[in-house]
Amino acid sequence: MSDSRAQTSSPATSVSSSAEVRRGDALRSQGQYAEAIAVYVEEARRAPTGALCLKLARSYEHIGDFPAAGRWALAVVDAGDDFTIWQAAWGLYHRCASKGAMPAGRSVKLALLSSYTTTQFRPMLLLAAHRVGIQLEMYECAYGQYQQEILDTSSGLYRFAPDMVLLAVHEQDLRLPSFSPAPERDIEAEAARWLRLWETLLNGLKTRIVHHGFVVPSDVPEGHLAARLPGCRYGMVQAVNRRLGGLAADNVSIVDCDRFASWFGKQRWWDPRYWNLAKQAVALDTLPLLARHTVAVLNAGLGLSRKCLVLDLDNTLWGGVIAEDGLAGIRLGSGVDGEAYVAFQEYILTLKSKGVILAVCSKNNRADALLPFEKHPDMRIKLDDIALFVANWEPKPDNVRRMAAELNIGLDSLVFVDDNPVEREAIRQFVPQVDVIPLPEDPSYYVRALSQYLLFETNSLTSEDSQRTEQYRARAQYAELEKQATSLDDFYASLKMEAVITPFTELDLPRIAQLIGKTNQFNLTTRRYEMAQLEAFVKDPNYVHLALRLRDRFADHGLVAVLIARRDGNVLDIDTWLMSCRVIGRTVEASMLESLCRRAQRLRCMSLQGTYIPTEKNALAADVYEKYGFSLTRNDGGRTTWLYDLERKGAVVNSFIRTEAI
Amino acid sequence: MKIDETELHDRLTAVFREVFADDGLNLRDEMTSQDIVGWDSVTYINLMFGLEQAFGIRFRGNELAELRNIGEVKRVITARISA
Repeated sequence: MSDSRAQTSSPATSVSSSAEVRRGDALRSQGQYAEAIAVYVEEARRAPTGALCLKLARSYEHIGDFPAAGRWALAVVDAGDDFTIWQAAWGLYHRCASKGAMPAGRSVKLALLSSYTTTQFRPMLLLAAHRVGIQLEMYECAYGQYQQEILDTSSGLYRFAPDMVLLAVHEQDLRLPSFSPAPERDIEAEAARWLRLWETLLNGLKTRIVHHGFVVPSDVPEGHLAARLPGCRYGMVQAVNRRLGGLAADNVSIVDCDRFASWFGKQRWWDPRYWNLAKQAVALDTLPLLARHTVAVLNAGLGLSRKCLVLDLDNTLWGGVIAEDGLAGIRLGSGVDGEAYVAFQEYILTLKSKGVILAVCSKNNRADALLPFEKHPDMRIKLDDIALFVANWEPKPDNVRRMAAELNIGLDSLVFVDDNPVEREAIRQFVPQVDVIPLPEDPSYYVRALSQYLLFETNSLTSEDSQRTEQYRARAQYAELEKQATSLDDFYASLKMEAVITPFTELDLPRIAQLIGKTNQFNLTTRRYEMAQLEAFVKDPNYVHLALRLRDRFADHGLVAVLIARRDGNVLDIDTWLMSCRVIGRTVEASMLESLCRRAQRLRCMSLQGTYIPTEKNALAADVYEKYGFSLTRNDGGRTTWLYDLERKGAVVNSFIRTEAI
Repeated sequence: MKIDETELHDRLTAVFREVFADDGLNLRDEMTSQDIVGWDSVTYINLMFGLEQAFGIRFRGNELAELRNIGEVKRVITARISA
């Protein structure tokens, strides 16, 4: 029951799916429920849409299998955010539960205090909560009565004694004028009003508060000028959100509705027709998603968030199969897929830094599985980041059970990530407590798939997160430094750049070929070489070849600069020299020259020769030789040749980048 | 785009059955909220939303408030589809 957003199915499969689903429908309409179920289940493996889950639930209800019906009704939550389907699924789940067919779940008393019509929101919340094992007992205040209920300590709210209070409020509740001559005063007063409501609740009740943040309106009369006017409502709503975020203590959680309304599209979030008709401040089609986000935050408030991410390796952390493709063959670091896997690893590391435990579960020989961690320069996740590393040929459900035991956490703390649908299905079937995130086929969308999984939500930073706090501090210091840096030199120094310069390695060749093939701006000669030619340079002792990787305090930029030179007597002639545009203006070129000078000295060359061949795009590199002390020796209509007298001038030195030359 | 009478009736019936959770519900043009069990202000909103989704249309704001019987619902949907 646990998992799977529906978006993973490809259009091709959904076409054939719908034919199969129609076959199931036909069987169902003839009363052949068991046969229909067989067809539906097969389809649900491929593309578990909400509609399909609901059909399965109804079929099971018809044959009297209420536990199965309830489970499929809950599966709707993971299979899409269609309001009508959720509505029907809740009705069905409720019927099954009232027959005693469903496990009870953890009981939580929730008071829903709202300033708009929440009749439609209520069933969404109930369904989303059951999905995470929470059985909500709900109290709803009368329409628009949230303040009265809070301020009157003899109200039904206080008699109900909720464990959680949900403040479902919206932007129009804010007491802010459309334009304020004194915005700071108005913002402070409005934040104080909400703070008083929170405090009244927390004083009168032993409860936690979940507060829906205010959605900044998208219809803005001041237009773009509003971004500069703190006194217009647009700016004040943002300021109140920030102020409330700062005021919220540990027992108040805020659902960042503005972020997710933006994600969803504010034009859909706010439908004036339904507001005018029925005071629906949140459009119906956004309610399922709002419910899932609200429950994720509520769940975190109860300390029930998921704790551990169990990762597959091949085609999950890198492209390809390490045991077959080898270290140089896997896709990681360069190319579209290679960059996507790096981005995915970096996203995972961010999760780790907020307290998520990382584990590996891979079908591989252990030595093969470890290899990229030990040897691949573009691996972001290191062995140190992995709390438990399991690579063997046992079935994954068995491994996952043992891993939970070894980590001493419940199976319901685990989240399983695997590109292989067969493994995902095995986990779903044999260890249903584990949540499964289905990865889409295209690794470019892996980060998005993971970001849409909501149950890693945390309510506060714990002690283990101190490292993250340090990071914040570092950032703050950077901002300070940037302010203080009065000269460019200060700025370079503040970046704490580190470079590693190496001869070309087999592992780096694809990235080097890519840079040579596409770099246009900082490219002195724009000579394009294929892999075979590069391999020939590597083998030829008369060639010097340098590849530079750059890292600073904030990011690892990877392999960003390449230089190829040919020895000609006692002159070292620069054939190719280029640099990725993301590191232009950071003195990287000086480090390259410094390293080249050292090589030249070792080879007993007396001078360096450089050529600049102008193209439409490389003007910015035209004066680089002049800048570093080369003398012009020839000019053939813009094509220039330069000489650097190494013996007399000594090596170029760059003090801004700490360089390790290997 | 046009939609024929039978198709409209069938698709409409499917939405009503979904919203009112009644697989045996059969519609007639003269039916009003009085004739359908569970038709109240809440299910009415769900119904309007369900129809917009199912037919890929948007009612005008005032139409949302004015639809009184099945015949009217059909007339407005037809108008919106061919608009």
